[in-house]
Amino acid sequence: MNDKMNKKGDIFINKLKEKIKILDVSRMPEEQITITVDRADLPETVRMLYYDMGGWLSTMVPNDERQINGNYTLYYALSMEGGKMSYDDELPAEDKCWITVKAYIPATDPCYPSVTRLVPAAVWYEREAYDMLGLVAEGLPDPRRLVLSDDWPDDLFPMRKDAMEYNYRPDPVDHADEPEYKFLHPEGEGLIDVPLGPLHITSDEPGHFRLYCDGDTIIDADYRLFYQHRGMEKLAENRMSYDQMGFLAERVCGICGYAHATACIEAAERAIDMEIPRRAQAIRIINQEIERLHSHMLNIGLACEVTGNINAFMHIFRIREFSMELAQLVSGGRKTYGNVVVGGMRRDISAKEIRKGLELLQTMETQLKEVWEAVMEDDSQVSRWKGVGILDRQVARDFSAVGPNIRGSGFKRDTRYDHPYDFHDAIEYEVAVEEGCDVYAREWVRYKELLESISIIRQCFEIMPAGSIITNHNKRIIPQAYALANNEAPRGENIHWIQHGSAQKVFRWRCRAATYNNWPSLRFQFRGNTIADAALIVCSMDPCYSCTDRVTVVDVKSKRSKVLTHSDLKKYSQTLKHSPLKDI
Amino acid sequence: MKLLDMTRKYGNATHEYPFAPYEVAEGFRGKPEYTYELCIGCTACAVACPSNAMNVQLNEAKDKLVWKFDCGRCIYCGRCDEVCPTGAVALGDNFETAVRLNKEDLIETGELELQACVRCNVNFTTKRLIAYCIENFINVGWSKEQIDHKAVYIKTCPTCKKEESVGLVVGHFYKGGVVR
Repeated sequence: MNDKMNKKGDIFINKLKEKIKILDVSRMPEEQITITVDRADLPETVRMLYYDMGGWLSTMVPNDERQINGNYTLYYALSMEGGKMSYDDELPAEDKCWITVKAYIPATDPCYPSVTRLVPAAVWYEREAYDMLGLVAEGLPDPRRLVLSDDWPDDLFPMRKDAMEYNYRPDPVDHADEPEYKFLHPEGEGLIDVPLGPLHITSDEPGHFRLYCDGDTIIDADYRLFYQHRGMEKLAENRMSYDQMGFLAERVCGICGYAHATACIEAAERAIDMEIPRRAQAIRIINQEIERLHSHMLNIGLACEVTGNINAFMHIFRIREFSMELAQLVSGGRKTYGNVVVGGMRRDISAKEIRKGLELLQTMETQLKEVWEAVMEDDSQVSRWKGVGILDRQVARDFSAVGPNIRGSGFKRDTRYDHPYDFHDAIEYEVAVEEGCDVYAREWVRYKELLESISIIRQCFEIMPAGSIITNHNKRIIPQAYALANNEAPRGENIHWIQHGSAQKVFRWRCRAATYNNWPSLRFQFRGNTIADAALIVCSMDPCYSCTDRVTVVDVKSKRSKVLTHSDLKKYSQTLKHSPLKDI
Repeated sequence: MKLLDMTRKYGNATHEYPFAPYEVAEGFRGKPEYTYELCIGCTACAVACPSNAMNVQLNEAKDKLVWKFDCGRCIYCGRCDEVCPTGAVALGDNFETAVRLNKEDLIETGELELQACVRCNVNFTTKRLIAYCIENFINVGWSKEQIDHKAVYIKTCPTCKKEESVGLVVGHFYKGGVVR
């Protein structure tokens, strides 16, 4: 009995049992607990875990398991770490774990009660579950399409196993017949509807924003993303081997690709309980931290550029070049791609490379401190960041935001700290937390993390054990075994969930990038700010893009519209002079 | 103002490239370089390539084996380098992979002569792969007689080998009086 009580996660399960009938509990691997409940109990179970016991929604995986057990399945994965609304509101390290709530959805009646009504963080996941598998969340407040385009056939759900060939694409609908996407629209007199997009300015990624403005102030916002949905999950489960999958996962993101590759491969490894050599673990960490270095410097640079501080931008990018050089040194390419494989790493680091790497780290650290000091002394820069794009603490809690975004709002939430993976148990570091909730706080978090990253890489270089970098255990894939892997990418926690299939192929791969959890709360960050700060707010969330190609301004009252060019908006963001909205 | 001082302090941050060569780190993973002379047509690279940038296929006339590399598909992972037994494909330092106007210029090919089966006279592998095997036999110290004997075997196509083995087995049992 005593032994049973000591198992990780039992305190949560016992509390749940008081109110909810738990059908099954399984642990696979040990710290990832799956509890099965009836679909009717789903919202209450997730709510209890989320709000009563301090869980955060990490991912939700809708799955088509009809060929295994005749049902669809939903997996709500919660990271149990404490609510963190105050300093003592945190679970002790030994109680932190993952709890996955699983519910079967009969194939004949593919619907379930929506969790979003009780836990707002689930909104995007449930919208996606409908798009991909046709599972209807009853009572979902916002049942619009999320991932697929508006002209996608109504009865075709691509992630169903029998739905379609991976390379089949339905014919596009004529532009005139395309259904209109309904943007959420606030009511009121004199509101101006400002569309931002379809292409965002700095990083050439598509996303369409509608900003509803009263004069210059943003009242509300809505956005439509996923214009470039590539169908990677489907692609991987149909034809890729595990050797190829890591290379595909890397292509999820152009900046934090390495974090995705590691998370994907580690999920596959954890599902079959494969331990990789310590040296390989350390090299994985080094590469991830290098990625964080160049990503955060890019972001701080852009946050300066968007507000017109081109000089600082240039300096930060000059320093960023050292991190690219470091990446080239330890991984053979300016991007750290192509190194992770199931069982370890493909490329070792030599002593000579370590020596050179340490020198580069030293240069980076001194110069970074200099530039940051100069930027902080610049009042006009700091005033553009302070008080802008407030991410309210309650909003952050409700939507399970991740990364510097939530750490800037005073939450000590970092998956390296909450659920240490790989070599992190051997390394000392501090979680960077700022209380300001604004752009200024988030940039401070990034700066502190840069210094932490430099220290982590240094520690890894110094203490990483010698030995093999790839395991020689000949482990077999176990069909239907599943696990999730977490990973702190520069933008926050990445979660990959893998269920193995037969024939050494993947059955279901669910990739949840960090920004996916940050988007739903962006709407609240926009409110009350000016149009000139819109680009900066998006930038501070670091979604890989931060300005717009073209903006159309529509005055709802007079029905007049004006198209702003990329440079118009950028100039206005930078100088704050000659408002482009004045003459409409 | 401090930032301007810094500019003066650190001077020029840019490289002279493209007017001077850009030095890459040792062990840089650049474009895979192909050495035609070393290639034996074993297709290991084509099997390993995760993005199908490398392909080894018969040409249309079916008289040559064509090694084909499309740089536009390459992800520079270096799997080809890892598996190549002769070092014919090895990652180089070259990062300048752009071509002008014509996408076809991204494609590199190498044609290899084929070996016909000694029994049925149908092409089944490359001459170089056979030569590579024989060279290995010499290296492990086989005598000339042994090699000559084995050479016939390795110059036989898989189909003929299968038929021969079946023939042998059937013959064996037939002699032994099992098959009647």
